[in-house]
Order: sequence, then C-alpha cells, then structure tokens
Amino acid sequence: MSDSLSIQNLHASVDGNEILKGLSLEIPKGEVHAIMGPNGSGKSTLSKVLAGHEDYEVTEGTALMDGEDLLALEIDERSRAGFFLAFQYPHEIPGVSNANFLRAALQARLPKGEEIDAVGFYKEMYEKMDALSMDRKFTGRFVNDGFSGGEKKRNEILQMMMLEPKYAVLDETDSGLDIDALKIVAEGVNRMRSPERGFLVITHYQRLLDYIVPDVVHVMFDGQIVKTGDKSLALELEEKGYDWVTEELAVSA
Amino acid sequence: MSTTLSKAESETKPEQAVPWFAAPPVHDIALDLPTWYTEHQSESWDRFLDLPDPVRKDENWRFADLRKVRFSELVAARPVDNVETLVQRAKKERVEHFAAHYVFANNRLVYSEVADLPDGAVCLPINEALVQHGDLVKEHFMKEGETLGGEKFSALHGAATLSGLFIQVPRGCVIEKPVLIHHFSGGDFQAVFPHTLITANENAQVSVMEFFESVGDSEQNLVIGQVDLVADQGGNIQYVSLQDLSDLGPKHVQINSSRAGRDAKIKSAFVNLGASWVRNESINRMQGTGSDCQIYSANLANGSQEYDQRTLQSHEAQHTTSDLLFKNALYDDARTIFSGLIQVQPGSHYTDSYQTCRNLLGSETAEANAMPGLEIDADQVKCSHGSTSGQISDEEIFYLQARGIPAEDARKMISLGFMNESISQLTGDEIKAHLFDRVARKFRGLDQ
Amino acid sequence: MSTPDSATLEAVNIDQDAGNFSYAEDYAHDAGYGLTEDTIDYISNVKGEAEWIREFRKKALKTFHDKPMPTNWASKDLENIIFQDIRYYLSKGQTPTRSWDEVPDDVKETFERLGIPEKERKFLAGVEAQFDSEAAYSNVKEELEKQGVIFVNSTEGLREHPELFRKWFGKVIPTGDNKFSALNSAVFSGGSFIYVPPGVKVAHPLQAYFRINAENFGQFERTLIIVDEGAEVTYMEGCTAPKFETATLHSAVVELVAMKDAKIQYITVQNWSNNVFNLVTKRGMAHENAEIRWIDCNIGSRLTMKYPGVIMKGRKARGEVISIALANDGQHQDTGAKMIHAADETTSNIVAKSISVGEGRSTYRGQVHIPKHLKGCKNNTECDALLINSNSRTDTYPAITVRGNQHATQHEASVSQVSEDQIFYMKQRGLSEGEAMSLSVNGFVNDLVREFPMEYSVELKRLIDMEMEGSVG
Repeated sequence: MSDSLSIQNLHASVDGNEILKGLSLEIPKGEVHAIMGPNGSGKSTLSKVLAGHEDYEVTEGTALMDGEDLLALEIDERSRAGFFLAFQYPHEIPGVSNANFLRAALQARLPKGEEIDAVGFYKEMYEKMDALSMDRKFTGRFVNDGFSGGEKKRNEILQMMMLEPKYAVLDETDSGLDIDALKIVAEGVNRMRSPERGFLVITHYQRLLDYIVPDVVHVMFDGQIVKTGDKSLALELEEKGYDWVTEELAVSA
Repeated sequence: MSTTLSKAESETKPEQAVPWFAAPPVHDIALDLPTWYTEHQSESWDRFLDLPDPVRKDENWRFADLRKVRFSELVAARPVDNVETLVQRAKKERVEHFAAHYVFANNRLVYSEVADLPDGAVCLPINEALVQHGDLVKEHFMKEGETLGGEKFSALHGAATLSGLFIQVPRGCVIEKPVLIHHFSGGDFQAVFPHTLITANENAQVSVMEFFESVGDSEQNLVIGQVDLVADQGGNIQYVSLQDLSDLGPKHVQINSSRAGRDAKIKSAFVNLGASWVRNESINRMQGTGSDCQIYSANLANGSQEYDQRTLQSHEAQHTTSDLLFKNALYDDARTIFSGLIQVQPGSHYTDSYQTCRNLLGSETAEANAMPGLEIDADQVKCSHGSTSGQISDEEIFYLQARGIPAEDARKMISLGFMNESISQLTGDEIKAHLFDRVARKFRGLDQ
Repeated sequence: MSTPDSATLEAVNIDQDAGNFSYAEDYAHDAGYGLTEDTIDYISNVKGEAEWIREFRKKALKTFHDKPMPTNWASKDLENIIFQDIRYYLSKGQTPTRSWDEVPDDVKETFERLGIPEKERKFLAGVEAQFDSEAAYSNVKEELEKQGVIFVNSTEGLREHPELFRKWFGKVIPTGDNKFSALNSAVFSGGSFIYVPPGVKVAHPLQAYFRINAENFGQFERTLIIVDEGAEVTYMEGCTAPKFETATLHSAVVELVAMKDAKIQYITVQNWSNNVFNLVTKRGMAHENAEIRWIDCNIGSRLTMKYPGVIMKGRKARGEVISIALANDGQHQDTGAKMIHAADETTSNIVAKSISVGEGRSTYRGQVHIPKHLKGCKNNTECDALLINSNSRTDTYPAITVRGNQHATQHEASVSQVSEDQIFYMKQRGLSEGEAMSLSVNGFVNDLVREFPMEYSVELKRLIDMEMEGSVG
C-alpha cells in the first residue's frame, strides 16, 4: 500500500541492545493511530528510529512513507520528505529565535534560489500562533530556551502546523501538561487532521485520547505491537492497567 | 598584545637568594624510619636548595606580595613548655562529638584521645605510622607531582615533616564522627611541618577537621603543611582546615592534594581567620568516572593580612563533577588573591564544573584579586565560572534597619551570612556551627 | 559529540580565499632581511624623518632586543618567529594619492578585488589603503576636511602635524609596554593619523585597509587617533594577506585619545591568512566623560595576540570591548581586553565570545584593574566560548583587581557546545547539518554582531555563514 506510513518487522538496537524486536504497523493517510505501552516498551525508540537518530541501529525490517524508503534518507531529508516528530523533550537552541528557526526550516524546503515570502510567512505564523493561544512576543524568544513544559509542547505543535508534514509522530506530547494546555495542544492537532495526513500518537496515558480521538489503538510491549483495537481499547487499558496486557500475553504464550 | 597584563602590579626586583635554613630542619624524634622515607627527605632537601624563591613573572605568583615570602635563619620548631594549657585550649575549642582527637604542639604529639573509632580504621601520628605501616604511608605520601607555585615549600615540607596524622579507612568502614587534629605552633623564626594523609578505601567514609592555632601572640613563626586526600571507588572524604593563628606574625602555607577514584567524593575546605600571610594551594583530580570534588573556602581578612589561594580542578575522567565556592570578606588594608583553574582534560566528556569566587570589600583600601580560569579540551562539557566584587548595599542595610536592627549589627549580620554561604556547604552540623562561631567571633572583634 | 563527517568539516572550514592572491614584487625600497640599526637608518632615510624620530626608533630597537618573549604566559608558537628572516620595510616609493586613478595598477587592482573603492562610494567618509609598508591611497570627504578633520597616514602625520602627533605619540602605549610594541616603535611605517576637532561629529566611518602583498615581510603600522572635546568618530580597519609558504608578521600599535566628552568607536575585522602572526597592541585613553569602544573581530591569522584596552583617566569615562574570535584548524586566537580604571565613576564593559572549530584554539585573557581610593567604578565582564568538535580547545584567564568598597565588578564565563542532540532536533525540522550549525553559531554571536554598523554586520554574518556552511547548498 503506497498511501501510508508502513513499518514492517522493524528491529533496532542501541549499543548492541535490541529495543525494537520486529515491530509492524501501518498508518494509512487520514487516520490517527495511537500507541500505548508501559515505560520501557520501546515507544520513544520507535519515534527516534523513524526520525533517523544516529544512536539507533536498524538491524532488520523496513519503513516506507508513501512507498518511499524512509530508512534510506538522512534525518533532514526525512523531514523535508514530510516526516515530522514532535519531541518528548524538545531541545533548546539558545540564540536562535523561533521565527528565524521556522523560516530557516521552511526555506530549506524551497528550491534553490527561491526566497521565502516574509510577509506571508509572518501572517501564517501569527494565525497559527493565535490558534494555539501563543503570545506574539514568542517569535522573538529563543527556541525552547527557558520555556515551560507546556510552552515547549505548544511550540512543537506550531512547528508541525507550519511545516505541514504528511505524517506526524507525537512522542508523549501530553507528558507534563496540565489539562488546559492539553486541550490547546489537542485542538491544534485536530485542526491538522485531514485525509492527506497520518498521525501516530505515542502516549502512556489514555487521557490525551479523550481529546485526540484515535481511529486505531495499538498496545506496545517489549519492542512489539501486541494488541490492536479501536479507541475502546485505550479505555480498557486505562481501567485494567498495563498488567492486564502482560498477564494476557503470559496466558497466550 | 602585551606583557603588561601585569603592568599595574608593582615591580619587584629579583632578590639575592639566601637559604631559608642553614641545615635540614630535621625532627628530633629518633625513630627507626624506613629507608624510602629518609631518602625522600634528603632528595626533598636537595630539591629545596635547587629551587629558586618565588618570582613575580611566574604566573603562579602573580599579584602576590613577594616580600612576604623572603625567609632566612629559620629553625625547626623547638618543644613548647606550656603543653597543659594548650591541651586545655584544644579541648575547649572542639566540636562536642568526635571519633578521635590529637593535639600537636610544635611538631610533637602532646595529647590524644580516641573516643569512637571503628575497628579496622588506622589513625596514628605519622611518625608512628611510618614505623608500623610504612608501606601504606608510602603508597600515597606526597605523590602529587605538580604544584601551583609552592614547589619550594613542598620540597621543604618533604625534607622536614614528621608530625601530623595518618588516617586509613578500610573498605566499607564508616567513621561517623569527625577526627579532630590541633596544631599549635610558636616561637620566633621556628617552623612546623604538619602532614595529614587520609585514604578512604572502597565505600569508606571519614571526616577530618584540622585546627591551626598559635602558642602565643605575635610570634614570627611559619607553618608549612601538606595534606594528601585519596578516595578509592565510592570513598568519601571531608577535610576542613580552620586556620586561626595569631594575626600578627605567623605565616601559613598549606598545600592540599585530592585524588578521587570512581564515584568517590572529596570535599575540602579552608577557613582562614588568622596569620599575617597565607598561601593555600589545592589540587583536585577527578580521576575515576563519576568522581566529584568540592572545594570551599571562607576567609575573613583584616589589618594587613594577605590570603593567597590557588586552586586546580582537573577533570581526568568522564562524567566527573566539581564545584568550588570561595568567599572573601576584606577589611582595612587586607588583600586576597584567588587564582582558580578548571581543566577538562582531553576525553573527559560529560563534565560539569563550576567555580565561583566572591569578594565583599569592607574598606576603601582592601584589595581583592581574582583570576578564575578555564581550560577546556573535551566535549559535552558544562563549565562556568564567576567572580564578583562588591560591598553591602545601603538598601540591604536599610531593609534590616527597618526591621529594627542597628546598622552596625546589620552590616555584620550580612557579612556573616555572606561567609556562611560557603561554610553551609559542608557536612556535619557541629562542624558548621563551630566554624560559624569562630568566624562570628572574629567579626565581633573587628572595628568596623 | 562524535567526530563530524567530512561534509561538516568542510562546512565549517574558513573561506579565506577572498584575499588569497598576490602580485609580483616590484619595490623601489626594500630594507632587506633582518633587523639592525642600519635597518632603522634605511627606513628613516627613505622617509626623510626628523632626527628625534630616528632616535626614538633606535631606542625602541634596544628595548625590543632587551625584552624577553612573553612565553612565560603566552603561546610557545611565538618562538617560531625568525626575526632575521623578515623584511622590515617594503614600498614602491609611492606617496598616497587622493584618486584611485593615480594608484599603481597592481595595487589598485588589489584593492578593487577587495571591494574598497566600492565601499568608499557607498558609505565611507574617508579611506586609507596601505600596501605593505606605505599607504597607496588616502582620501577624506571634502566637507570633513573643511571642518578641520585630519585623516592621513602616519608618515604624513608626523611630517605635517608634528605638534599634535608628538604630544600623544607613545603616550598611551609606551615603547617598552611589551616586546612587540617596542618592535613596532623601532620600525613602524604606515597606519593612520586622525584628528577630529572639538565638537565635530563625523557621521560616516573612516576606513583603513591593510594589505600584505610580499612574502617574508612584516607590516608595522602605527595608528594614532585624537578626538578632541565633544567630537565623535568611527574608524574601521580590515586586513588581508595572501597565503604564503612561510609565516608573515603583523605587529601594529594603535593609540586612541578621547578628550573630554569625546567618543571613539574602533572596529576591526581581522581576516589575515592563517600564516600571519598578528601581534597587536591597542589601547585608548578616555578623558572625562569620554567613551572608547573597541569592536574587535578576529577570524584570520595563525596566532593573534591582542587585548584592546582602555585607560579611563577622567571622571565618568567609559570603556568597552566587544570581541568575537573564531579559531579554526591551525589557528590560535588569543584575545581579550584590559580595563584600567584611573578615575572615579568610570565604567567598563567586556563582552567576549569565541568559537573554536576543529583543532582551533581560542583563549581569553582579561585584566580589570580598579586601584586605590577611587569611588563608584563598575566593570562587567562576560565571556562565552562555543566548542564545535571534540578536538577544539578553549581557555579563559581573566584577572580582576578591585581595591576599596565603593565599586562593583562582576565576571561570568561559560563554555558550551553545539551538541549532537541540538543538531538532531534541527535536522528533524529539515535543516542540513551545515545549516543547523550555521544557525547555532549565528545564534551564539548574534547579539554581538548587532553591535557592528549595518554594512559591517552584514559582511560579518556572511563571513561566518561562509565558514559554517562552506560547501552546503
């Protein structure tokens, strides 16, 4: 299937320790998938492997984005090809303003010699910032530098809105957010939902999925997807806890 | 471009070198000392004779008043006669709970009291340790090859020392209460050479507090002390030096060397209240992964006292950390010099290292010099240093006055708080309280 | 951070090629190799100097020979300067012209390739262009001349304005200040002499451009700028040299005098090729309520040792040093600042940022001196270092002396690096490694670059971009 983010039998390790152990997952365009799982199940590893982090070595398997081999691309090439990762811990870049950073990222997407339209850029950025209830002063602040947890996550969503990816992975975007910030972030994501775009929402808690309602929920455990269902699976998990899945696994094994 | 980065300092003419001692200041205790030690002594004496007196163009002596380090006709300290008075003073001036207490007067042990020393821990005067545990002493005795300018003092110390304490804490042994050491010294042109050697083996722990005090008043005597601190894997050492010599004559040199192995922690502190001239050197080597050194100092200088302190934080392994906080409060014509260097050796990635020197100037003629240095040769390093000089602001005084505190008391309270920021980093409530009291006592004596 | 790939190494490699060309040597005056009293006589004779200058030079030569190399605190690399293998005076016998048309063709072409005449048309109030030992072109806008502004080379300044020149010459930086100020005092040639009369505010910058064309040559320009009461001026200097096989020496002395209420801003963009030893002494004297500001940017050279200073001699005088240093492979930027407070209520500010790339090494040395019995002096010092790649090295050695309880000083320094995680984050947003690096580095120096006049900050940003991006795009 070419209109999807398709991951097959993915194995990846860091420092020789295998973390992903044959993970398969298919996210068609237009759908929102959620991955839930206990700490240490490999959720964040999956997001970093897809983004191309050099600490992780892919030993087996494929990841195709609309048929294109994602794993063959450099980190920045993946981004420009339409892959976006909202980081769990967004990095600080002292000295570089948010506006300059976004401009540089958009400029990198234009053909050589073409300049970004500054007026249009600011107009668009301000609109999107308004949607995320972000203060205008924010454009001049340095990227994530001295940001609160909520500000950092909102900034990730703003970047996503500006870069308009084909597929976005949200890595524990809900961690550290109070309920108001969570709602704002979720609203931003919901605005981005479209038949042209696929989402993978990684979370430890069901709470986020009240606001970003997934089409499909996967449960991850020990580097693999062990259970897949609809949104009710998330509720069930919340109610019974992750032990329920591990016990079930133990029974079936 | 200019060699006159030091132009503003007063020029000193090179002096004709006169030997400080006519003959090696050998201790009069006759003992059957190990050969390696007597050889070390004579080598040290030769080195001492070869080494030049400190000169200004040596960066390690920048800003120093070299007139204060010209010595001649010194002799090894002779026995004192008022031993009992000194022991009483020592007993009065100590923390309440301790593991053991040793009192030295002019290089000689005059009193010892073991209160609560766990089995296995060795705690002996160094001359006895040399006889009973020669090999243990040899392993770590004066092994630091580098100095921060005090090589001539160090060589002299090596030629002469036979006093001080040897402490060896075996694997897993924790000495809960501090070991206390008093060094009394006196007599015009007499020199003492206290040595402290502390080793903490794997996961062992010890805290030592050393007191330097004068036998009498205004004697022109000299203390040249050296301290070796060695912590093996997971070992934990705290060493505190309280120098409260008479502020009229004595000069005090102390050279500390700390070596921390894997995950080991060494905390060392200098508190200077007395002496006319002080030179502290502190070399701290973080040699094992995860090791940590902390160096603190609180100095209250008045009159014409000069405190000259030089430090090195050398990061020699990955994930090592260090912190340094030196505080100087200066009054009258006092001078302080702080020169600190953070060195991150090649390959010592993931280092966190900090260094701060703060000066509180309380008179129009006090002078504070600060040379905080960084040499970074590794990656993923977080290092910073800061140095400030200033005085108590009128607003601060006003705020306290508005709460009913007289201006003079407010001034002292703020100054004491300033010094306490460094003291409070130490471990042990009684130790901190004692240091705080001693600083407060000197403050009370100041005519501000 | 792991060792970067070759693309990154290329990306951060300095492009100094803009100045890497030279013309065949064709000199009317050549003092030959080595340095003796004869060399001095040769220079003095060619220049037709007054006797007191000849004596001044000879005395300085003796001081130079007497002074040891400052290797007790500075780089041992200084020992690689072979003073006997250097030529101390080279000129085509030209006298500086006021029209580019009269400048010898190869010299004119040199400065055209470096864009000097174009900049002069666009935004400069006056230009002096020095080729090896002597100026080839010197011009100042007519209206400034009418106001009494003098902008000539030092040879002409000594000849035409001896009363002004002699009063301050060697007063801010005495001959014996250091070994290299003594060397300069012995063999100086070229450099600018500027006088701005009381109350005259020169709106546009005056520019000097220094070019070394010949191999085994030393350039020793001497600049003296006197700005009279209430007057203001901005002076900018640039410098380049071709890449020769052997090391070249540049050792200037720059003295500034700001009279009461005067303001001087002195901007340097140093882009010598990386075989130049650049050992420069720069100091200003600020009288009452005067302000001297050094903006010092060091990108080129093999070894630079330069610590611009301000002696705040009058009440409420202000001194400032803004310093940017970039040390790439094979370079050592040993820079800093000296602030000597010599009157009440004087304030000084030092902001220094250095970037070490590859095997590059940067060093900050500073001195802040607040001597006795002054009141209300303030100093603020910030020095930040950025490391890129695990082989680079950075050192910081400030020295701060404060006497008395009526002053405030603060010093802060930090070291950080462009981390792997930071680059990963930026790459995930679609930036290439080179772009990410360039953005980080520009972010690090941005607030300082803004201190430069517009035209220069654009050029500086471009230079930094070139170094950081290089082959990218």
